[in-house]
Amino acid sequence: MAARSAALAQQERAAYLFLSPWLIGLIFLTLGPTLASLYLSFTQFDLLQPPRWIGVENYARMFFADQRYRNALSVTFIYVACSVPLKLVFALALAMVLDKGLRGLTVYRALLYLPSLLGGSVAIAVLWRQIFGYDGLVNEALALLGIDGPSWISNPNYSIYTLVILRVWQFGSPMIIFLAGLRQIPMELHEAAAIDGASAFRRFRSITLPLLAPVIFFNLVLQTIDAFKAFTPAFIVSGGTGGPVDSTLFYTLYLYQEAFAYFRMGYASAMAWVLLVIIAISTAAAFLSARYWVHYGDERE
Amino acid sequence: MTGISRRQMLATVSAATALAVGAAQAQAPLRMRMTWWGGADRARRTNEAIGAYLKRNANLRVDTDSVGWGDYWTRLATQVAGGNAPDLIQMDYRYIFEYARRNALKPLDEFIPDPLAIADFGAANLDSGRVDGKLYGVAMGLNSTAMFYDRTVIERLGLKPPDHNTSWAQFAELCVAITKAASKRGFFGAQDGGYVEPMLEVWLRQRGRKLYDDAGKLGFARDDVAEWFDYWDRLRKAGGSVPGEIQALDRGTPETSVMTTGRSAIVFSHSNLLVAWQGVNQNKLGMTPYPRGERPGQYYKPSMLMSIASSAPNPREAARLINFIAVDPEAGNILQVERGVPPSARMRGAILTQLDDMAKAQVDFISLIADSVTPIPPPPPKGAGENEQLLRRVYERISLGQASVPQAATEFHGEAARILERA
Repeated sequence: MAARSAALAQQERAAYLFLSPWLIGLIFLTLGPTLASLYLSFTQFDLLQPPRWIGVENYARMFFADQRYRNALSVTFIYVACSVPLKLVFALALAMVLDKGLRGLTVYRALLYLPSLLGGSVAIAVLWRQIFGYDGLVNEALALLGIDGPSWISNPNYSIYTLVILRVWQFGSPMIIFLAGLRQIPMELHEAAAIDGASAFRRFRSITLPLLAPVIFFNLVLQTIDAFKAFTPAFIVSGGTGGPVDSTLFYTLYLYQEAFAYFRMGYASAMAWVLLVIIAISTAAAFLSARYWVHYGDERE
Repeated sequence: MTGISRRQMLATVSAATALAVGAAQAQAPLRMRMTWWGGADRARRTNEAIGAYLKRNANLRVDTDSVGWGDYWTRLATQVAGGNAPDLIQMDYRYIFEYARRNALKPLDEFIPDPLAIADFGAANLDSGRVDGKLYGVAMGLNSTAMFYDRTVIERLGLKPPDHNTSWAQFAELCVAITKAASKRGFFGAQDGGYVEPMLEVWLRQRGRKLYDDAGKLGFARDDVAEWFDYWDRLRKAGGSVPGEIQALDRGTPETSVMTTGRSAIVFSHSNLLVAWQGVNQNKLGMTPYPRGERPGQYYKPSMLMSIASSAPNPREAARLINFIAVDPEAGNILQVERGVPPSARMRGAILTQLDDMAKAQVDFISLIADSVTPIPPPPPKGAGENEQLLRRVYERISLGQASVPQAATEFHGEAARILERA
C-alpha cells in the first residue's frame, strides 16, 4: 500500500514537472501581468516613478470626463458594427460559390485566403494608402468617370470605412469555416426541396441558413471579439495617430497612446479592463440571442 | 528522473559558473551599451565612429542600438523602470529634466575637464544640458527651426526664393504666387504650417509671447492662437498651402512630406534635417529661417544630447567616449553634421573643410541666424508632447472643415491648459 502511494506521488511529481513550462508561462506571462494590470488600473503610474494609488479616478475620468475616450468608443463600435456583418456576408457568399464545386477549388480557396494571411501586415496598410489616397487607384478610376474623389483615407468622413473595407477583404478564415459547414449539409435535403419546387432562395433560407446557424454563430462571436481588438490597421494606416481628427482612433489605439506615448500606464490598464468587460458583454449577448436562432443537430427537443 | 541527483546538478552548475567567471577575469573586457534614436545614416556614422574609438581602446566593447523617435521613449522608459538602462543614452531637450530629476541620469560635472574637454562649447551650449545647476547632458549638435524650399521649382517659375528678410505677409504672397505660376493640379506653394508646433512657437516669440512660460504654463492667450489659425486658414483658402486632406497624409518624415510627394515647394522643419530631405528629393533644396516678425523668434537648440545613466558601472569610461564623439576631429570627420552643427568651436574648425554642400549649408545657416537668435526657452513642461499632438488634431478640424477658427482656438487653448494640469 505504501509502495503504491509513493509511486503515485512520484507520478504526480512527474506530471507537474512536465506541466511546469506551461504553468510557469501562465503564472509569470499571463496571470501575473493580468493581475498587475488590475492593480495598476487603480493607480497613476508613469514607469519612472512607483505607482501611486488613486482609487477609481481612472475609471471616473474615462466614463465622465474624457471626450477622446467617448470618441474612441464610438469609432470602435462603428467599426465592429459595420465590419463584422459585412465580412460574414462576404465570406458566406464566397463560400457558397466555392461550394458549387468549381474545378481547381483548392487553388481558388488558397488564393481567396491570401488576403487574410497578409492581413495585419505593414505592407497592406501601405497598399491601402496607395489605393485610397489622394491620387490612389480609386480616385484614378473615378477620374475616368469625371469625378474628383476625396482623399478617402485622410478625410475624416470616410477614413473609418476604408478600414472597414480592409477588414472585410480579409474574409479568409470565416470563409474556410463556412465552406466546411456547407459541406456538412446533406445534398438530399436540397434535392428533395428542389423536387418539391422550392426556389434557390427558399432553399437557402429554409435549409442552408438553419443548418449553418451554429457555424455562423461561431464565426460571429470570433469576428466580433477580433474586431473589438483590432489595432494594427488603424495604427499603421494613420501613422499611430488615429487621425485625421481622431476619425480612426480605435479603442486599442487610444489605449496604446495613453500607455506608450504619454506613459499613463494606470489609465491604460483601466481602459484594458473596461474593454474586457465590453467584449464579455457583447459575447454574452450573442450567446443569449443564440437561443432563438441557433439550433444544433444533436439537441433534444 | 533518477539520472542526475541534485548534488551532481549543483556541482555541474557551479563548475560552469567558475569557468565563466575565470574566462571573464582573464580578458575582463569592459562592456558598455549605447542607444540613440535616428535613421540608417546616423547608425552607420555612429557605429563607424565608435569603431574608430575601439581601435584605440582594445579592451572596450560597445553594444549599440537605435530605433525611431516614436519608439525610442517608450523603450527607454521601460528600460529605466526595469533597472536595465543603457550606459550611454541619447537625450532630448524635451526629456532631460524629467530623467535628471528622477535620478535616472548621472551628473557629469566631475568629469570636466577630464575626460570631458568641452569648455569650448560656450556657456549657452553647456547650459542647455544643465538641470538644477548640474550638467546631465552634452550637446551633440546645434540646430534651429528652418524651412526648406525647392530651389529648382521656384526658380523655374521665375520667382524669388524666400530668405531671412521675408516677412509673414510676403511669405503668404509668395506661396500663392507659386501655386498660381505652377498651376498644376494638387501642387501648392507651401505645406500647411498651422499645426507645426515649433513654427507656432517662433511666431509667438516674435510677438513677445511664449509657448510655455517659466512656470510651465501656457505663455499665450486664446486670441494669439486664433490669429495664428486665421493666418493659415486664409493662406490655405487663397490656394497658397496644401489642402487639409492632402496635408493629413504627411507624417512629418522625409518620405511622406508633402514636398517629397510632389505637393508643395516649401516645407517646415529643422536645420539638421536638410540632409535627410535632400536625400529623398531630386530637386535642389535651399534652407532659410522661418518668416520674419517684429522681434527675433528663433533660437539654437541642442538637436540632441548625450547622457550617462546613473546606473552605469563605469561612468568615467562612458564620459571618455562622449568626449571622443563630441570634440575629437577623428569622430567629427565621420559624424560630420548629421546630428547638427557641433557646438565645439575646435571641432567645427576641424571638420569645416571636409564638409559637402549640404553640410556646409547647415553650418552657414547656423552662422547666418547668429545675430537674431534669442536665448533658449526652458525645457517644455510635462504634457508638452501631448499638446503638440493636440495642436495637429485641433488644427485639422479647421483644415478639414469641421470647425471654425474661433471654435478651434478656444478648444486648443482650453484643452492644452487642461493637459498641462493633468500631466
